Amino acid sequence: MSVAVELRHITKRFPGVIANKDVSIKVETGTVHALVGENGAGKSTVMKILYGMQRPDSGEILVNGANVNFKNPNDAIAAGIGMVHQHFMLADNFTVLENIILGSEPKHGATIDFVAARKKVVEMAAQYGLDIDPDVLVEELGVGQRQRVEILKVLFRGAKILIFDEPTAVLVPQEVDDLFKALEGLRAQGMAVIFISHKLDEVLRVADEVTVVRQGSTVAEVKSKDVTARQLAELMVGSELPKPSTLGHTRREEITLTLRDVSIATATGSRNLISNISFDLHAGEVVGIAGVEGNGQAELVEAIMGLREYTGSIEFHGSSIDELSVAERHDLGIGLIPEDRQRQALMMSSPLWENRILGHQRGKPVMRGFVIDKKATIESTRTIMQEFDVRAPGPDTLAAALSGGNQQKFIVGREMSKVPALLVASHPTRGVDVGAQGAIWDVLRKAREKGMAVVLISADLEELIGMSDRLLVMLRGAITAELDPTKTTPEQLGSAMTGAV
Amino acid sequence: MKAMKILRYATMLVFVLASIRVITGASDLTSTGTASAALLLSVPIVLAALGGLFSERAGVVNIGLEGMMIMGAWAGGYIGSQHGPWFGLMAAMIFGSVGALVHAIATVTFGVDHVVSGVAINIIAAGLVRYLSTLMYKNGSWPGPSQSPGIETIPLNGLPVLSGGQYFGWKSPDLLGSIANLNWFFVSDIASILRGLTGDVSYVTVVAISFVPLAYFILWRTAFGLRLRSAGEAPVAAESLGVNVYAMKYAGVLISGGLAGLGGGFLAIVAASNYQENQVAGRGYIGLAALLFGNYRPGGLLAGAGLFGFADALQLRDSAAIHALLLLIVVILAFVAFRKFKSGKQIGGLLALTAAGFTLWFYFAVDELPGQLVTMTPYIATLLVMALASQRLRMPAADGMPYRRGGLR
Repeated sequence: MSVAVELRHITKRFPGVIANKDVSIKVETGTVHALVGENGAGKSTVMKILYGMQRPDSGEILVNGANVNFKNPNDAIAAGIGMVHQHFMLADNFTVLENIILGSEPKHGATIDFVAARKKVVEMAAQYGLDIDPDVLVEELGVGQRQRVEILKVLFRGAKILIFDEPTAVLVPQEVDDLFKALEGLRAQGMAVIFISHKLDEVLRVADEVTVVRQGSTVAEVKSKDVTARQLAELMVGSELPKPSTLGHTRREEITLTLRDVSIATATGSRNLISNISFDLHAGEVVGIAGVEGNGQAELVEAIMGLREYTGSIEFHGSSIDELSVAERHDLGIGLIPEDRQRQALMMSSPLWENRILGHQRGKPVMRGFVIDKKATIESTRTIMQEFDVRAPGPDTLAAALSGGNQQKFIVGREMSKVPALLVASHPTRGVDVGAQGAIWDVLRKAREKGMAVVLISADLEELIGMSDRLLVMLRGAITAELDPTKTTPEQLGSAMTGAV
Repeated sequence: MKAMKILRYATMLVFVLASIRVITGASDLTSTGTASAALLLSVPIVLAALGGLFSERAGVVNIGLEGMMIMGAWAGGYIGSQHGPWFGLMAAMIFGSVGALVHAIATVTFGVDHVVSGVAINIIAAGLVRYLSTLMYKNGSWPGPSQSPGIETIPLNGLPVLSGGQYFGWKSPDLLGSIANLNWFFVSDIASILRGLTGDVSYVTVVAISFVPLAYFILWRTAFGLRLRSAGEAPVAAESLGVNVYAMKYAGVLISGGLAGLGGGFLAIVAASNYQENQVAGRGYIGLAALLFGNYRPGGLLAGAGLFGFADALQLRDSAAIHALLLLIVVILAFVAFRKFKSGKQIGGLLALTAAGFTLWFYFAVDELPGQLVTMTPYIATLLVMALASQRLRMPAADGMPYRRGGLR
């Protein structure tokens, strides 16, 4: 077998951070090659260098044995490299078709040949089982469907070397199976697939070879059949994998949150985005909301937080909060970890201490009267960074300079600094490395023991089952099942989520 | 489907106008002269707005349209008076593009705030043309420091058979004109408006208006347009697919300057017969407002520019007609109130109804509007419509945001 891609001794520095240091990877054609490592270990940077989005400070890249120097993604695409990004690279206001053909449009004279493009996309979608309507706007799609658009984009360009950046983070098991089948097909056709992940069981299932990255450097290259998940984990973090689990019942008598017949209609009123959601949540209890992305979980969060109008009633500690604003709900002690940390939780180009203020701008410790108490804010930011192990040079670091895991730890720390009575946690560990994941789970566990109630929404079924005292399954905006997590396997939960019981 | 809907609304509007004409006797509401003047006044705004469209779709906010129009108007006067109107228009486009090039270098290459750069261009352009005009006056080639010599006019023509005009020596009949003179309610109103829009039209106007569908075609039907729009919607995604985002932004801004410059040249060469200082008079900003009103789409901006042109034409020709226009506002507000009540929004409906009642009272209370108010009509109309229509605006997602290649991890 020939070598499709080889990276030799790649080094890349950003101001204040060394992202990659002496990274070497060799990927053969007709294989699936996994790149594993904690978030912030530098996996994404390696792949951006390979894809021409960033240039290495030193080192060389070889494609099919020839030395290449990518100035931009155009060069990488021309060399047959395609990338399925972790943070989707899609224009929300464009249709699926426009997103797919952008940059390599089939032409018909002076115009784009939309007919031929649509035909090709529909054919490809059928061939790889990536069902999608080419004419809807991307902003109307859920996360799973957006990923399909990303994959189709790459295939449309006829790439031979495909990079998948954490593709399974947002998928349910059935979808993961479909994706892995597609990967098998790609491998059989002699393509080289680079699969970035930190889910080691998946890596072992799909990959032929595994390269481990730790703190910016490649530390090992192994055949997947020669290692166990435990060994890989040790290579990755140098310690055992934490497990999501809650010990014993800490549920108390008092009810923290009550929902009665909560519904939200679409803007046109034609149907309900969520309909008649009712449940009680006791103090010290974690209720897990399971469901395929886009089945009303986001709307449920918005209703509880008061971000969106709803019908029905929501009570907090026994009194109605229907008339209360978002700020008032926040002040009562309802905390939120939003699903999209970059868009909804952080100002990316502001320093951490300014981000510390978000959501807490009405009281101590960040305010003194009407003025921001910068000194106290910085001090409190530093405390959060220490307690939650946020790895960054200091409170003045820009949020954008942090890795996803560290951003998430910071957000959790910010929310927990006020000790909410109810925490709405939307994908609290999505795209986060094992170390940070364990730390976040620990925080939730401890707060639960002290009586905090948690609404946990996640696409990670292990996390849902391990952390929840009770599981509610949402399908098409309604709660379709209530499960006992101690008697549920991920496969059973996955079937319940897709309605195929 | 959509075209039918627009046609239906347009017919309804003309019907209402015709009724108001009959009630108030303000014959200029639907006259050929008003329609013709409205078209002439709309064209520079259309060109400015189209310029804004290309720039903003590529993600660069272009407040500098005004300055680019000023440079175009001056170049039109300078070259037009020496080498004839067609060269004048070409020079206007080139001069506008020079202003745009400065804007592109500042915003795209150096990442200067788009509004700061645009305002700077407006100020510099005004000063620069004043300086150049003074030079021209000093060396004796211009009659004054604020105006150029006269420019040869570009011939006018009309649609054959329908609205008169000359074709190879053959004088076409003027069907619409004769219907307009019959004074039949509604029918003659439609005919006279169409006659105004299609008869005695400058060739430049025809070209300028044809840019509207052309812009749609380029932006939504060609690969270039898709890439240009992607630079304004999701530049990082576009870059990841190999689109040269910088080049797209440069192209958008340069086209923008060319169109705005042409708009300025039109003012000097077609709408007037020489360059005069302050000829542009804020039309660049109005063009931007028309673009926003049109929700960053070619058809919409045409409607916005048309509205402004109509109000402007009316106040220039007949101030009494502006008084009659109050009745149109009453009808529109009543319509809005009806729609609000129907969709169950009682408060909004009540507000619109109150406003309608107040306007009706105002109509009967005053016989003639104060002159200042009349002159302000086009601006007030723009403001009102913007306030009512701007609630569902959708600007390009990355418009006005600084972009750096590979800068986002």
